[in-house]
This record gives sequence, C-alpha cells and structure tokens, in this order.
Amino acid sequence: MLFVVALLGILAANKLEAQEEVPKNWNAEKIRGNRFLPDATYLGTPFIFENFLNGKIELEDGTMIENLRLKYNNYRDELICYNSAISTQIVVDKISVNSFTLTDEKGIFHLFRKLYYTGLMPGDRYFEILSEGDISLLVYRKILLLSCPVYGEMGKEKNMSYQEAFSYYFYQVKKGFELVKPEKKSLLSKFDASNQKSVKKLLQQNKISVNDETGFVKGWNLIKSSGVAVNF
Amino acid sequence: MKRRLFTLLILLVGLSCKCQVKEGFGLFTDHDLYTSGENILLKVFVPSNELPGIVNVGLFNLKGMQVSAAFLEMTDRQANGYIHLSDTLSSGCYFVRTTTRTSATQTVKEVYIANRFSGLSESGIFLRPTGVVPIFDVPIQTLQVEGIEKSYKRRENVHVTLRFSSELLSQTDGNLHVSITRLTPGFNFSTFYTHAKPEFSRTVGNEGMIISGTVTDAGTAKPFNNAIVFLTVPDSSPRFQYFNTAENGRFYFQLKNYFGEIPVVLQCFDPERKHELKIRLSNTENLLASLPDFETIVFPPELREIVAKNVEAHNFSRIFSQLQLKEKPVAEAKAGKYPFYGVPTRVVYPKQFIDLVNFDEISRELLQGVRFRENNHVLTLQLFNFQRNKFFDEQPLILLNGIPVEDIQAIRNLGTKEIDRIEECLSERFYGNLQFPGVIAIYTTKSDYSWLNESDSVLKLRLNAIEPPSILNSPTDNNFKEPDLRRVLLWLPSLKPEPNMNIEFQTSDVRGRYKLEIRGMGRDGKFFYKENFFEVN
Repeated sequence: MLFVVALLGILAANKLEAQEEVPKNWNAEKIRGNRFLPDATYLGTPFIFENFLNGKIELEDGTMIENLRLKYNNYRDELICYNSAISTQIVVDKISVNSFTLTDEKGIFHLFRKLYYTGLMPGDRYFEILSEGDISLLVYRKILLLSCPVYGEMGKEKNMSYQEAFSYYFYQVKKGFELVKPEKKSLLSKFDASNQKSVKKLLQQNKISVNDETGFVKGWNLIKSSGVAVNF
Repeated sequence: MKRRLFTLLILLVGLSCKCQVKEGFGLFTDHDLYTSGENILLKVFVPSNELPGIVNVGLFNLKGMQVSAAFLEMTDRQANGYIHLSDTLSSGCYFVRTTTRTSATQTVKEVYIANRFSGLSESGIFLRPTGVVPIFDVPIQTLQVEGIEKSYKRRENVHVTLRFSSELLSQTDGNLHVSITRLTPGFNFSTFYTHAKPEFSRTVGNEGMIISGTVTDAGTAKPFNNAIVFLTVPDSSPRFQYFNTAENGRFYFQLKNYFGEIPVVLQCFDPERKHELKIRLSNTENLLASLPDFETIVFPPELREIVAKNVEAHNFSRIFSQLQLKEKPVAEAKAGKYPFYGVPTRVVYPKQFIDLVNFDEISRELLQGVRFRENNHVLTLQLFNFQRNKFFDEQPLILLNGIPVEDIQAIRNLGTKEIDRIEECLSERFYGNLQFPGVIAIYTTKSDYSWLNESDSVLKLRLNAIEPPSILNSPTDNNFKEPDLRRVLLWLPSLKPEPNMNIEFQTSDVRGRYKLEIRGMGRDGKFFYKENFFEVN
C-alpha cells in the first residue's frame, strides 16, 4: 500500500512539472464560406454523391484540413462542408480551395482539383482527376438542370430535371484543356496514324474495351505506361 | 519488498535523469563588452532534439527581469540576429539567454553593458555570476587559415583563405559562422547552461509566435468559460483569428510569418452579452528561470580604459549616423488572396462621388443593401441578405480597418474625407464556427485605430514578431571621409562550408587586437571553433 502511495506521489509530482496543455486543433485553419441553401426540388438530384462523405481540403496556401464531412454540388460546381459544431452546411469559398478529396461509400477515393477553365464560360472549376501525369485525364462532373416532359410514369411530375453532362479532358499545364470523349475512336485520334495500330494492339492484348469511363481510364493508363507519343 | 524498493529507486533515478541538462544551445555574441545603444550580434546553434521554428533570445538584468528580446527564425537548426541595446540601460552585468518555448534547457551568456552617457561607475565595482559551470568548446586543427598576417594597417583590404579537410567537411552539420571582432583582453565572460521550464508541450509546435492569456469575469475575477477572443492585425487586408475559451479561460493565438513590429488588437466578449470580461496576456518570458549566485568584482584598469574608448567610439558613430546593420527585405505574411470575411459583394470608393459628411449620408447615397437608421436615439445597421432576398435581423460584422466594432457610434461620423473604401458582403458568412449576418468593412484614409478605447476587454499592442534578417554594413557603404569605428570587421553567421573559402574584409580605424573566429556544429552535436589573432596598428 505504502509502495503504491509513494509511486503515485512521485508520478503526481512529475505531472505537476508538466507544461501547459493546449487544446487539440487550437490553431487549425478555419473554413470560410456562405450558408448553403438548397435549390428548389426538381426531378433527380444535383449531387452525384447524395450523402456527406469523409474528405479533406487543401487550401490555396497548401494548408490541409482533414476529417471533414464534404459534399460536392455538381449542379453549382460548389463544395459543401458540414460544420457539426454549429450544425450548418457551408459552401466553401472556391477562391480558398486548391483541391479536395472525397472517399465514397464504396471506399473509392476521388480527387478534385480547382483549375482555371479557359474554354466557353471561363473560370475556376472543380475537375475530378481520373489519371494524373504530364498529361492528366480530367472529368468535369457537371449536372445540368434541363426541362423535361411534365408527365412521366408517376403522372404529373416536375418540368425540370437534373441530368448528367460529364465532360472529359486531357490537360497539360502549358497547353490547357482538350476535350475528349470516353470512346475508343476519340482516344485513338490523339495518336499519329503510325501509332494507332500499336495502341489498338496494346488494348486488344490487355483485353480493354474503351467504351465507358472505366475502360477509358484503364486504356489511357496502359498507353501512358507504354510510352506511346500522344498528339497534344 | 526489496523488489519494490528497487522499482521505486529506478523510477526516481529515471525521473531525476529526465531533469538533467542535456544538449544545450550554442550561443555566441560578437563581444562581451557593449555600450548602450549598440547591437549584440547573435549566433545560435540549436541542439538536434529541438523542434524547428523560433529561437527566443532575451537580455536579462541581474534580477532576472527581461529588458529586451528577439525572436529569431531557425534555419537548418541555426539562427542569427541581434538584440538592440536601449540607450537608457544602466551600466552593469547582464545575461543573454537563448531557448525555445518547448526547450528544457537554456544557454546563458554573461555580457557587460556600459551606459553611453554615464559610462562606468566611479567605484569600478560590479556584480557578476559565480559558481556557474562554464561551457568550453573544442578547438580544431583540421581547418587551416591561409594568408593571415600578424598585423595590418588601418583600412587595409585583407584576403584570407579557409581550407577545410574533407573529414571536417563531412562532420560539419549545417553552415559555419565566421567573424572578425576586436578582442577585449584581461577578462573572461562565461557561458553556461541552466534548466528551463518549457512554456508549452512539444505537441504545440514551435512555429511562429504564440500569444496566450486568460479571460476572466470582471465581476468575480474567475476564469471565464466560452468567451470569444478576437485577434486582429489591422492592415489594408486585415488578418484575423478567434479563440473560444475553455473552463480555464485560457486563449492561444499563433502568429506565423510575421516580421518586425506589428500592431495587434485583442478583444474578448461573452457571446450571451451577460458578463463584463477582462483579458490579460501571459508573460512567462520575462523572467530568467534560475539565477546564479553573484560576487563583487572590481573592473581592471585596462578594461576601464577599453570601455571608455568603446563608449567614445560609439558616440562618434552615432554623430555620423553610422548604422551597424541593414535589414534584408523579407516576404511579409500575406493575408491571402482575399480577406477573412470573404470576397466582397461590392466595393465602394466614396472619393469617386460627391463629398458626403457622415456615414448616414454615405449609406443612403452610395451603398446598396445597407440600412443605417436612427430611431429614438438608437442606431441600427442592417445588411441585405441576397441569398434570402430580405434584410438580416441582426447587426452585421462591422470592421473598421479590419478591427471588429461593436458600437456603431464609432462609424457614425465617418464621411467621404475619412473613408478610403467600403467593402460589403451581402450574404451570411462563416469563418470557422463564427457566423456573421453580413459584413461591412470600412477602411479609413488614416490607418490609425485611436478610436478604439483600451478597456478591460480590449488590448492594443505592438508586438515584436520574428526579427527580420539583417546583415552587417560593409565599409563600402560608409562615407570614407568619416571615421570608420567598427569593432566588428566581419560577421558572416551562415556560411556554407566548402573545401576552400575566400574571405575578404577591410580593417577599420580602431586599433587593437582582433580575433578571426570560425565556429560550427559537428554532426555529433558538439561545437567546434578555430581562432586566429592579428593586430591593427
């Protein structure tokens, strides 16, 4: 008993010498933004991920903010963060963001980066990086609000619906964006006629059919690793 | 029983070992004897177990009170800078101390400062520490100094080559410190290690300055839970932080990448507006952790003569406005691409319009979405919420030169002549957990904040942030018709070691014995040095 008391006494005395403890995340970077107000209800959804997902934000100055609940509004091209301390959904200022990541329900990691789009309606946009490299493969996961027939299977419905209108791009810092379709023909058009045959053979040998996003990304990654020169 | 006693003994030994002084800082100054108004040039080598960030260097009097301080930026576990000695410092022994906020040891160097007006005391008696264990560094032989003569004429250009052996180069950690200073014969001032009580735990980090303090209830003097503390660095693009206090009422702010003297405003308030609060800053840095014993010493006559000459030389250099150091430009802390309150919905420059005498007129004539009214002698300000298409019910965040304003009266009399620009954010803004029903930021033509009255809940400070890097003024910068009264001929605190290093300098008009000193830190954490001496006649 005496031993335990002595032991506790020594440990307590040592503890008293310890420095001032500062609260966790006391100097964490603060998220800035506006309140998120949902749009009127139409058919479909403006989100490709309906729920808030775990994610992190890299700010323009390189600061990382982790363990966030994030949601990407594809219709408005906005990043929404749920602040649990004040129970509020905040539209994060696009000017402050460099990139953000989301991990979906299937555990798939999605990296979005803010890039200045120079084409029609220029401005900062969030692009999902499908394949990163000297020439990156990006997708702008845009959802449009379009008019639609009022009468559907359920009878009289809304006259507007959210519809996916994804745009795929090859991107290089110096040359900018080049639109591409997730099709074999579009992919082959980025190579010289002399190289197209070898690209086709490469895809065939690896049994990759380029007719959707997954196949396109696989095919592009394979070609990239093989070192075939791309016309860009 | 024996086993238990043994465990207790091991524990005690372990804990006492933990308290022992381990690796200390290498602290080197240009001289030991100074005149008030001069600068103490500093070179600090940081032990390997220290966190990167900031090195605190302070000048303490014999009572252990801090009289001056500098925060030096650490680069590759080294830091250099200076402490300016105030003209009014009284003659006597002082301590230069270096540490970090997470360090358990501190290195202390004894220096003597003579007041430039009164000089030494008539009695020639002064107190100096006794019983301290001085630090001795290891001289090295594997460094050759070539081309150095025994004596030089005044204002002679000198060229010296330092030759490093490959073995020494491989053992050297980081950059070297090379200096040429006038010697003070006949007296040895010591450098010693002492224990320090770290201000913060290592998890806090060491990057930037930390401002901490306590918020108390003005009525009960007890720490106040859940107070909001605002920190503003007023500027054309203000920088802002906030902190919510816990039960202990403590608050902390980290200031990264701030250089030189900066204005800081601290405001605290109760979110429920029920209690009057009082804010005070912690001041843990102003006391030396432990003081040694002192003994009375009589100044040797030759030293009295040197001190008198130093004072005379310094007074002359002041007459000719000769500056020992010049500051190097640094990249100041940027507030970012946009202010903390967001990209303004609209920016209005009242000067572009007809002169309006007060804010009431400006709000009516120039600002859209701003409702500034006086009803029954009560002023109200509301902003339009464009998201909801109606006015906010609550008062927005009002900023005057970046400082949050609670009393609208402060902006009432501001007219076109006083206002430079007005920025409006007409939406519900969020900054961390803070929520603002719109923001209106007014920037005045004069960047003063005298309108802000200091009170129990408001502190206006001018803080010394990280010391901007500076270099020694070379003689080519000085007018040759003036006397050259430099006692430091060369001060290169961060020189990259190479097999052959060429050093050039010019002697000054001050005769005497000089020391060429090369200092460095080995990969084993030990400091080494090489000295060479020459005369200037």
